[in-house]
Amino acid sequence: MANKQKISNGVNKEIKFFILLTGLFFLFYFMPMESSFFTGAVLSGLKLLNKYAREHVLTCLLPAFFIAGAISVFIKKDFILRYLGGQAKKYIAYSLASVSGAILAVCSCTILPLFAGIRKRGAGLGPASAFLFSGPAINIAAIFLTMSVLGHEIGLARIISAVLLSILVGLSMQFIFKEKIEKGELFVEESKDIVVSKKTLIIFFGAMIGILVVNGLQIDKTAKYLIMILLALAVAGMAIFKFQKETSKEWLKETWSFTKMLLPVLFIGVFTAGFIMPFLPQSLIERIVGANTISGNLAASIFGAFMYFSTLTEIPISQALIAKGMSQGPALALLLAGPSLSLPNMLVIRKILGNKKTAVYVSLVVFYSTIAGLIFGSLV
Amino acid sequence: MIIKILGSGCPNCQKLEANAKQAVGNLGLKDIKIEHVYDIVKITEYGIMSTPAIVFGNEVKAAGRIPDVEEIKSWLK
Repeated sequence: MANKQKISNGVNKEIKFFILLTGLFFLFYFMPMESSFFTGAVLSGLKLLNKYAREHVLTCLLPAFFIAGAISVFIKKDFILRYLGGQAKKYIAYSLASVSGAILAVCSCTILPLFAGIRKRGAGLGPASAFLFSGPAINIAAIFLTMSVLGHEIGLARIISAVLLSILVGLSMQFIFKEKIEKGELFVEESKDIVVSKKTLIIFFGAMIGILVVNGLQIDKTAKYLIMILLALAVAGMAIFKFQKETSKEWLKETWSFTKMLLPVLFIGVFTAGFIMPFLPQSLIERIVGANTISGNLAASIFGAFMYFSTLTEIPISQALIAKGMSQGPALALLLAGPSLSLPNMLVIRKILGNKKTAVYVSLVVFYSTIAGLIFGSLV
Repeated sequence: MIIKILGSGCPNCQKLEANAKQAVGNLGLKDIKIEHVYDIVKITEYGIMSTPAIVFGNEVKAAGRIPDVEEIKSWLK
């Protein structure tokens, strides 16, 4: 039995590789290199990659990955999960669910089991739905990259709206469906205790966040980089002298795994966004999402909800759309509805929630994202 | 006894399955079957919060992390 499985898995891998090579061959064969429009698009993609590499990777993404790594090492899952259990007070459960998505679910394949666990044996459908939305929506690297690439206002608006939205979506789901929690044991593993004083942790995280904040300030470049380097040295110093070797190693391991997971896909997304930019019909975009209208925000929300964005790629895509005329309100709506939902993702959620609840969940996300976009659009 | 690996197919759960197979192989145990549960709905019935997970019979041994071969061997003994 096991051998047949092994053989078919091996064959599967070879078939997939074959399809990839064939696809690439057809791509390279048919790509219209004579067309200056096409080569222009390729250049546009490369230009955007160049810009990102120079302006965002070192100063924004790298610190963000280190911070994300540190969070997954220092904030213990079981501590948070205890507050998402059945005995937890409701307002704690909702607030925690809305911000801890990024902490609890690192791998996207873990989001659904976590959701199901919180729903049936934990705090219930409400906090579980809040978590389901916030997981992809509130991602450290995404928030900082949004601020760096698209601007501080929309970046700030994104994180505030994402937290509020996840609470609203959660509360609405609970209010509409009034599900009862089942009795059952949650299997939560006890994580090892990390022995670090609170003061050290605060300085550690503070310094890393400081690097990101200083990067965004409009001050003299040499002063900026000097401060950032000093802060980086402080962080490294603390990791070397104040942490146990195990902890530092774990931190670096987690940071590397984030980098491995997110950077390659981001590069592909950036190139794609730059590539499609010349193809985007400016007049069409301006007509649909060019102004802060209800229809504009709604269109952006719906597009975001169905379109698949892998982590971080919603940012270069939004950048391209904004360059071609998308207004700030709809842009925020897209940033909110985009990461958490996609057509393939909806089909999987459907297996756990069923058609009716999934439809309501999606509608709630679209609805609240539209409103958030409208409000933001009217403020800027 | 049946060892079940719970995971929807991402690299982490493949690694866990590989570790489990190696542990069983190293100890030369013949009466142990290793199954992989991919279906999300079935996975949630085990009451775990995070994949990948490894279950011995009906007991969840670990969830949300990848125990190494040595650790799995220590459970098997």
